[in-house]
Amino acid sequence: MGPAADTSSTVLRTPSSVADDRESLPVSSAPAISRDAGGTSARTAALLQVLASLLWLPQAALLAAGVGAIANGAGLANIHWLVMGVVGAGIVRAALDSVGTRLAFNAARGVLSDRRHAATASLAARSPLDIGRPASGMAASVLAEQAEAIVPYLARFRPARLKASTVPIVILLCVLPLSWIAAVVLLVSAPLIPLFMALIGWRAKAASEKQLVEMGGMNAFLLDRLRGLATIRSLGAVDLTARRLRANAESLRSRTMAVLRIAFLSSAVLELFAALGVAMVAVYIGFHLLGQLNFGAWGGRLSLNEGLFILLLAPAFFEPLRELSAVWHDRASGEAAMEALDRLAQEGIFLPGAEDDRQGQSGGIQSAEVRIDALSFRHAGSEGLLFDGFNFHIVPGERVAVLGPSGSGKSTLLALIAGLAPYEQGAITIGGTLLTAATAGKLRAHTAWVGQKPHIFAGSVFDNIALGRPHLTQDNIQAALDTAGLLGVARARGNVQIGEGGSGLSGGEILRLALARAAADPQKMLMLADEPTAHLDTTTANEITASLLASSAGKTLIVATHDPVLASRMDRIIMLAPEASLEAA
Amino acid sequence: MIALWNVFRPVVALFLAEHRVALAAGAILAALTVFAGIALLGLSGWFITATAIAGLTSASAFAFDVFAPAAAIRFLALARTAARYGERLVTHDATLGVLAGLRERLFRNWAQPQAARILLKRPAKLLFRLVSDIDALDSLYLRVLVPAFVALAIALAVGVALALMHPLLGLTASAWLLLAGFGIPLMAARYAKAPSRRRAQALETLRSRTIDLVAGQTDLAMAGRLAAQQAAVAVADTRLRQADDALNRIETAVIAGFGMASACLLGGTLCAVAVLADAGIIGGPVAALALLIALAALEPFAGLRRGAVELGRTFLAARRIGPGLSPLPSATALLMPEGLRAVHLERVSVCYDGSSLPALEDVSLTLVRGERLALIGASGTGKSTLLALLAQEMDVAAGRAESLPATLLTQRTELFQDSLRDNLRLAEPDADDARLLDVLKVAGLADVVSALPAGLDATLGEGGFGLSGGQARRLALARLLLRDTPLWLLDEPTEGLDQETASDVLQRFEAQMRGRTIIIATHIRREAMLADRLLILERGKITRALRRGEKEFDEALAGLRPD
Repeated sequence: MGPAADTSSTVLRTPSSVADDRESLPVSSAPAISRDAGGTSARTAALLQVLASLLWLPQAALLAAGVGAIANGAGLANIHWLVMGVVGAGIVRAALDSVGTRLAFNAARGVLSDRRHAATASLAARSPLDIGRPASGMAASVLAEQAEAIVPYLARFRPARLKASTVPIVILLCVLPLSWIAAVVLLVSAPLIPLFMALIGWRAKAASEKQLVEMGGMNAFLLDRLRGLATIRSLGAVDLTARRLRANAESLRSRTMAVLRIAFLSSAVLELFAALGVAMVAVYIGFHLLGQLNFGAWGGRLSLNEGLFILLLAPAFFEPLRELSAVWHDRASGEAAMEALDRLAQEGIFLPGAEDDRQGQSGGIQSAEVRIDALSFRHAGSEGLLFDGFNFHIVPGERVAVLGPSGSGKSTLLALIAGLAPYEQGAITIGGTLLTAATAGKLRAHTAWVGQKPHIFAGSVFDNIALGRPHLTQDNIQAALDTAGLLGVARARGNVQIGEGGSGLSGGEILRLALARAAADPQKMLMLADEPTAHLDTTTANEITASLLASSAGKTLIVATHDPVLASRMDRIIMLAPEASLEAA
Repeated sequence: MIALWNVFRPVVALFLAEHRVALAAGAILAALTVFAGIALLGLSGWFITATAIAGLTSASAFAFDVFAPAAAIRFLALARTAARYGERLVTHDATLGVLAGLRERLFRNWAQPQAARILLKRPAKLLFRLVSDIDALDSLYLRVLVPAFVALAIALAVGVALALMHPLLGLTASAWLLLAGFGIPLMAARYAKAPSRRRAQALETLRSRTIDLVAGQTDLAMAGRLAAQQAAVAVADTRLRQADDALNRIETAVIAGFGMASACLLGGTLCAVAVLADAGIIGGPVAALALLIALAALEPFAGLRRGAVELGRTFLAARRIGPGLSPLPSATALLMPEGLRAVHLERVSVCYDGSSLPALEDVSLTLVRGERLALIGASGTGKSTLLALLAQEMDVAAGRAESLPATLLTQRTELFQDSLRDNLRLAEPDADDARLLDVLKVAGLADVVSALPAGLDATLGEGGFGLSGGQARRLALARLLLRDTPLWLLDEPTEGLDQETASDVLQRFEAQMRGRTIIIATHIRREAMLADRLLILERGKITRALRRGEKEFDEALAGLRPD
């Protein structure tokens, strides 16, 4: 009964009360926009569409008058103004409806852009250390494909709802003075529609939406199997998988049809009442005009014109309800999309200085001295502190390896120095500047990062190193390619796109790319490298170590690693206490 | 039009091959629904006008047969409802059937060697595009084929009905319906082609930029490009918005066009019936019938609107998918080696498509049954390519290659969103649970699985439970154990396993290797130690071949990663 109650309450709301809601809520607040369809223009759009529907009234009256005139033996000459009226009203109707549709679309599309913008901003502002952060594939699906459902919901469902709540009432008011019986026939069949739809339809509707989700799951099945095609082929399981795919699809089909058989009953009920409503009105008027049913017209007798007019209004009475039922599923998917976007826009652990892209500006810090005093940090949701009163000091130009068992917080320490997550207590000071949300952007301008799994962006090797940084010159990039030992790869790939997990690049090449990214910017004074040689073969690991040392020449370098060879090349080794890891676990 | 048909033909042919009757029944029921609706309205108009005229005098009122038309009206009301219900059921069932058939056929064709090789090189983005193309084709039947059939049937039916009043009226109305009814959607389809293509592209861009923003957030933050990436996402959305806007403008124009065409048809019919009535050819009731038919005649054409606007996208999808529907020529399998040989390569070269440099050059190698070989060398030197060649995932560019049937354990662990049992049974569909638990024991996973509440029924992937990287690798190893092929090709089999687990697993694994020929691509010492022979690859060439017992063999082992 939930959805039914919800609809009736929103249908019954007057347009002005909806508008009040809108204006009282700030646009920036995400949940607030979910009840907003783009403000005034959305309201105007819906009203124009209602007006276009109502223009059918004069058009129908003119048509009925035309038939009446013809039945009375009038020739073409006597009805030419009627013809012009019918055509004119039709054209104005079409024009009003288009303007309304366009306005509604623009308002709805504007909301979609705003929502996407808000979700993007909040994705960017969440710390990479936040485990609640959505996965990239999920975020992309919600933001790109799923969010599209907002537009039909706002642009079609809302005007349809306004039409369904006004047009039938106006038609009823026009029929009532002519024949109360016809009005009663319409009045009785209309409320029965939502009643029956609620009884039969809505429960099945929920089930059918679940089925739609499963249908999406079938695509996921195919995608999943295509990704692992090499394995499926090698295991000789092609036929098996194809038969599974077919069997899944067929079982989905029979389950879906079982649900749809009931779900479609609700629309059949609507059709039945609409068709019977028209039929009953027609039959009643026919018998009435024959003189066999002499009641229902307030004691008088309907004329042919009036009878035809009522007949022409009968289908129009049901039309908005049919339209509303046709766009009903837009509402469910639209609201689901809004909720999914809201979830993306949820706040979590923030990334200090996410909006502060102050790179390439001089006058930041003088030297890359790193001082950590009484640092305390715990992962969100974990009981114990990962660092509790942790101290160390690194002088400018020093090369330090941070060693420790896995889980001891090596990577976290590096991320904190890079300002990728806020810390609880203590102080991290880089080049004399205290790391805070306000200074994180400025300090990052001088900090380079070589991650364990660098992301490969959609673009060429060159683009992947430059990352669009405006202050880098061609020479910077070339030098970085050279230092990282990537000149050969860059030449071989040219402007060919890499990306999507770096397909075609080996593990060593991907790390070299990260090194080149870090080395390209002359402003960087502090270099942080997170297990750069993990999962590499010995030869490649040695080469990466050499490149790392070359590209960090003259800079402060902090490396988190368990590679003893790499650690031995550093000036100093800091061991993280295993107790810290116990506390973290 | 012919080009259009050529692109859609393979898809339509597949639809028809699988569900000819259901598809036709759906379309006919849809036409019947519309027909009953128009007839209901027309008959009602005729009835009211006729009764009004008959009711003028009591004699004619008494003579008027009121029951037949009244019954017909009620019948049409019920028939319309029944046809509508039937239509929705039949068309949906047919669509779901088509959907199942399309996916199965595409999967089978893509799994053939030539297609699979191309597909395997595609990044995730293109695989995703493939699936969204299939989705676009799903709507071909419901949004294009059915409405077009209904519109055509109604245009003809309306023409015949009006022609009974006057041939010229029927002919003109029919011509107008066909001209406006198909002309407007076809024009829309033409104008929508470019924006719908732009829309598909912009959506892909938005998607990949969002992935870059989320997955590359750390790299972007460190480069000070987070705000710039947000702006890039916004630019993609703006482009998408422009395409959306263009498409909406076209769709709105179609609706307005139908509205105006309908108003003109109504006006024209009103004029025509006035003239015909004036000439005494028809009476008032028939005039009302004609008008009400004209009123509803354009309604079914509105059903073509969505299909027309999306036709550009559907066309693109059909063009990309269509070739995947026709059967491919069968692949050339590797030759079977003779005698005791398991693998025999003679001066073999292998090239990746679009690359002039060979990935393997002049490789010669002979392996006797039961021998174990380790391929070592830095990443990107052709180890995986050699395994792919023997697994028949790559073509031989030059030379002669012979190999026993092989099973490949890919470098990237490939598990599927399915139950543990079905993931394992992919290798051996007839394996019972006892056998599955046996291989899990060898892989060191039996305890993990028995600790799960759902046991072998636990599902991997989204929503289910997740395996750690090491556990996933061991599951892939367990799956390999179910494959009874004489040759196993192992690409870094214990990567991602910690030292202790790896030695434990490898120790039990060795027993299973007996009697088989094994080739291992590796850079880890513990894996290479299983081999009797080492091949060292550099830039696609074999630079050294060593045998156990030689001094260099031990030296080469010592140079590998210790963990």
